[in-house]
Amino acid sequence: MSCLPFNIKDYFFGELPTQDRRTVDLHLASCPNCQEELDALNLTQNALLMVRDEEPPSRIAFVSDKVFEPRWYQSLWNSAPKMAFASSAILAAAILVHGLELNRPVAVVSKPSQSSITEAEVATRVEAAVQKAVAESEARQTVKLQQVVGQQRKMESDYKAQMLQVEDSYRMLRRSIAPRDLAAANFTRGEGQ
Amino acid sequence: MIFREVEDRDLITKARRGDVESYNLLISRWDRRIFNYLLRLVKDREDARDLAQDVFLKAYQNLNKLEDPSKFSPWLYRIAHNEAYSLLRKNRPETEMGEERAQSMPGRRMLPIEVGLAVSTALGRLTEDQREAVVLKIYEGFKFEEMAEILETPVSTVKSRLYTALDLLKESLAPIQLRGVE
Repeated sequence: MSCLPFNIKDYFFGELPTQDRRTVDLHLASCPNCQEELDALNLTQNALLMVRDEEPPSRIAFVSDKVFEPRWYQSLWNSAPKMAFASSAILAAAILVHGLELNRPVAVVSKPSQSSITEAEVATRVEAAVQKAVAESEARQTVKLQQVVGQQRKMESDYKAQMLQVEDSYRMLRRSIAPRDLAAANFTRGEGQ
Repeated sequence: MIFREVEDRDLITKARRGDVESYNLLISRWDRRIFNYLLRLVKDREDARDLAQDVFLKAYQNLNKLEDPSKFSPWLYRIAHNEAYSLLRKNRPETEMGEERAQSMPGRRMLPIEVGLAVSTALGRLTEDQREAVVLKIYEGFKFEEMAEILETPVSTVKSRLYTALDLLKESLAPIQLRGVE
């Protein structure tokens, strides 16, 4: 050891830089003391390693505990692939159920009471329904007609009122321009003479 | 080792999200090593098992504090070191190991069980610090830098403890070296 600038134990544990290792390699070839030291280290290590690892008496494992579990939003946030898979699974299940529903034969429900209804009763009911529908339609038509007539009457009265206004305006206009017409006529006549 | 680190990192990431099964898988990869490390320090199987459980529980509770998942191994051993020393401090004065000498039956090659006993005795004569340095280096294969990280001491101190321990072990285990093993 003293004949080397390095500790041979560093060399033994492989913790010397490559260049220094080469130096020690060369030195060992010519130094029996250092070689002996190295052999002793090897034997000591081998003796220590003869005591093998033992198996633990029991395996250590944890079970999920609420205390350590992440909050629901953390789980949700961290489980995009899981959510995608779950969504796909739900969608697939929905399609499957829908498909099964479509293919299911329609159940025939027998209604014995209906079989006992006579054709005359059916005809009566149909007629009553038709009459009711017609009556409703007529009522709707009448209401609509009344609305149209009302609108027409309003338009006529508005028109009459407008015409009266126009007549009044015309009369007033005539009254205001009559003196001017007279003056103009006199003037024309005077020039002609 | 690189693959192991990559897989550990993946398991750590999942465990941090609360995936207990990933953490159990991580434990299954490390519990044997941690148990044996603790066993060599405290020298009692039951204590080592209990401590190992505590180590993995503390590791799980503090997994989010592990800044660099690639340093999981030294970090885990650091927790184990603290747990072991906590127990050793409680149990002081340390129970002395038997004083059986390996050379008690000279002239015969030693049986493996005798070697085991001799090694245990030799390790038992070391101080706790020296023994831990030997365990971390010889049995766990850590680099000096990693040992310094686990023990929170300078590399020079780590080397000093280890080299002193090796000199003592060399003396204690000399009979094995002289007589050989059957």
